[in-house]
Amino acid sequence: MSQPTRSAATPGMLSSAMRIFDLSLGQMLWSRRSVFLGVLLGGPVAIAIVLRVFDTLHAAGFKVNGAVVGGSSIFGMMIWLLFIRFIVPVLGVFYGTSLIADEVDDKTITYLFTRPIPRSAVLVGKYLAYLACTVLLVLPSVMLMFFLVAPTGGGSIGAAFPSLLADLGMLAVGLAAYGAVFALVGTRLKRPLVVGLVFAFGWEPAVLLFPGYLRRLTIAYYMQALVTHEMPQDSAVSMLLQIFHEVPSLWTSLLCLAGIIAVSLWLAGRAVEQREYVLEQ
Amino acid sequence: MIAGLVVADHLSKWYGQVIGLNDVSVTVPPGITGLLGPNGAGKSTFMKLITGQLRPSQGRITVLGEPIWANPALYQRIGFCPEQDAFYERMTGLEWVTALVRLNGVTETEAAAMAARAIAEVELTEAANKKIGAYSKGMRQRIKMAQAIAHDPELLILDEPLSGMDPIARRKAIRMIKDWGRAGKSVIVSSHILHEIESMTANILLINQGRILAEGNVHQIRDLIDEHPHTVHIRAEHTRALAREFLGHDDVLSLKFEEGAVVVQTGKPDAFYARLTDLAASGAHGAIHEVTSPDDNLQAVFQYLVKS
Repeated sequence: MSQPTRSAATPGMLSSAMRIFDLSLGQMLWSRRSVFLGVLLGGPVAIAIVLRVFDTLHAAGFKVNGAVVGGSSIFGMMIWLLFIRFIVPVLGVFYGTSLIADEVDDKTITYLFTRPIPRSAVLVGKYLAYLACTVLLVLPSVMLMFFLVAPTGGGSIGAAFPSLLADLGMLAVGLAAYGAVFALVGTRLKRPLVVGLVFAFGWEPAVLLFPGYLRRLTIAYYMQALVTHEMPQDSAVSMLLQIFHEVPSLWTSLLCLAGIIAVSLWLAGRAVEQREYVLEQ
Repeated sequence: MIAGLVVADHLSKWYGQVIGLNDVSVTVPPGITGLLGPNGAGKSTFMKLITGQLRPSQGRITVLGEPIWANPALYQRIGFCPEQDAFYERMTGLEWVTALVRLNGVTETEAAAMAARAIAEVELTEAANKKIGAYSKGMRQRIKMAQAIAHDPELLILDEPLSGMDPIARRKAIRMIKDWGRAGKSVIVSSHILHEIESMTANILLINQGRILAEGNVHQIRDLIDEHPHTVHIRAEHTRALAREFLGHDDVLSLKFEEGAVVVQTGKPDAFYARLTDLAASGAHGAIHEVTSPDDNLQAVFQYLVKS
């Protein structure tokens, strides 16, 4: 038997979670899922290239219903429609629902659950790895998109830069919120991927179209308050955005999103602590 | 010293309508104990219960004097080598064991040193920096054992640790397990092959259909085993040359070829395994990659025991 090093005390929750983070980040970054979603993130960049080429060929810039739309506004719309309403929920669904499920499918969960760490630390560590992984995936795509789109329509990169930082913060909050909710779905429900997709692309868009309290049961409702860009006023998109008329204040939204993240992770952690994982032989 | 390493008291586990373990009361003493039973007998369920992966449906189980379910601190004192061939394939053996030992609360430096020592103990130092995905079956089994021993646990729980190993690796692993026992560690090791268990310890728990059929000295059922032919599946480089060698011995009852393998039925498994190990060591008939044994023969013995 190897010579003992008996100084070890059972690690605490945060320390355990950080060790799981270290173990999981590399696995997540180089997974097939990341390669696939990396390709998906090429989509907005491709659209940005097309817009930039179009802008170069037509020096008058983009007009929507006769009004000139600046690069910053276009970038803002792309962030909202492509990222917040599509890519961020997709990343949340595919990674969040599989935080524990991947280890169960690969039958490697045994190695983590037979170590002196709380099981919920495994979930938290993997959630943090998910955040780091998805931010690393999204960041190059958003940056490229920004540098391609912001100068169009006579816009300036320097002037738009502060809003880029705000957008990156909003994306991080969106990834955190969707990831936590789908982590909960993944630990509590059967067929979590289907449930997650229905939530993100069925429930949320449908409920946001109607006035009333139901829209408060979506993440997108709270995300609207984080949008910093001025949208074009006379466009079809602006008409669509007017539907989200009743937007909570920034601090209310941040507080609610923080609550959603904390409660979702706590419930997901409880589920992992109590659940038996029977691996198929 | 703890009188009962593992104490099960009217322990039952069922999965829906299926019974995995049925009202088992048993005390596992310190030292090396073999858990013997055919596939589906309840071995894996028992192993999962004593490693805290499953919660008892009924009854109680304590390990090292404490309940194991939802008691992560106890894993400081336990090392577990699971049955499944599952790894983080892209990591090297050293990275993987280090990462797992870090979960025991040691620093990165300490973890790396402990991992390196454990890897040396299972004789994998040369392959420590290779990716696990490139390991042979025997090496994968040994790296699993390394992660189990690296934090110097009091109790080692090994689920089918010799499965798929070649004869030489198997002999080394058996020697290691016996050495750990001699060093004062307690080991619970499961297998469906009596010959393997017998080479490590005389103390066995015989399990079938979710119940403990017998506990105590392995030699008491030894004669029963000898009455039944034992099937051995050998994946090797030159199967025909091996078959010619086997046919020269009276204990070989039948032979058949499968893709890249020869399947032998023997009436004297001890003698056969000893000869096979010597053959593998000499390399006279090429490399022997893997030796496995289906448990039909053991099942026959269990049926006999249940009837009697």
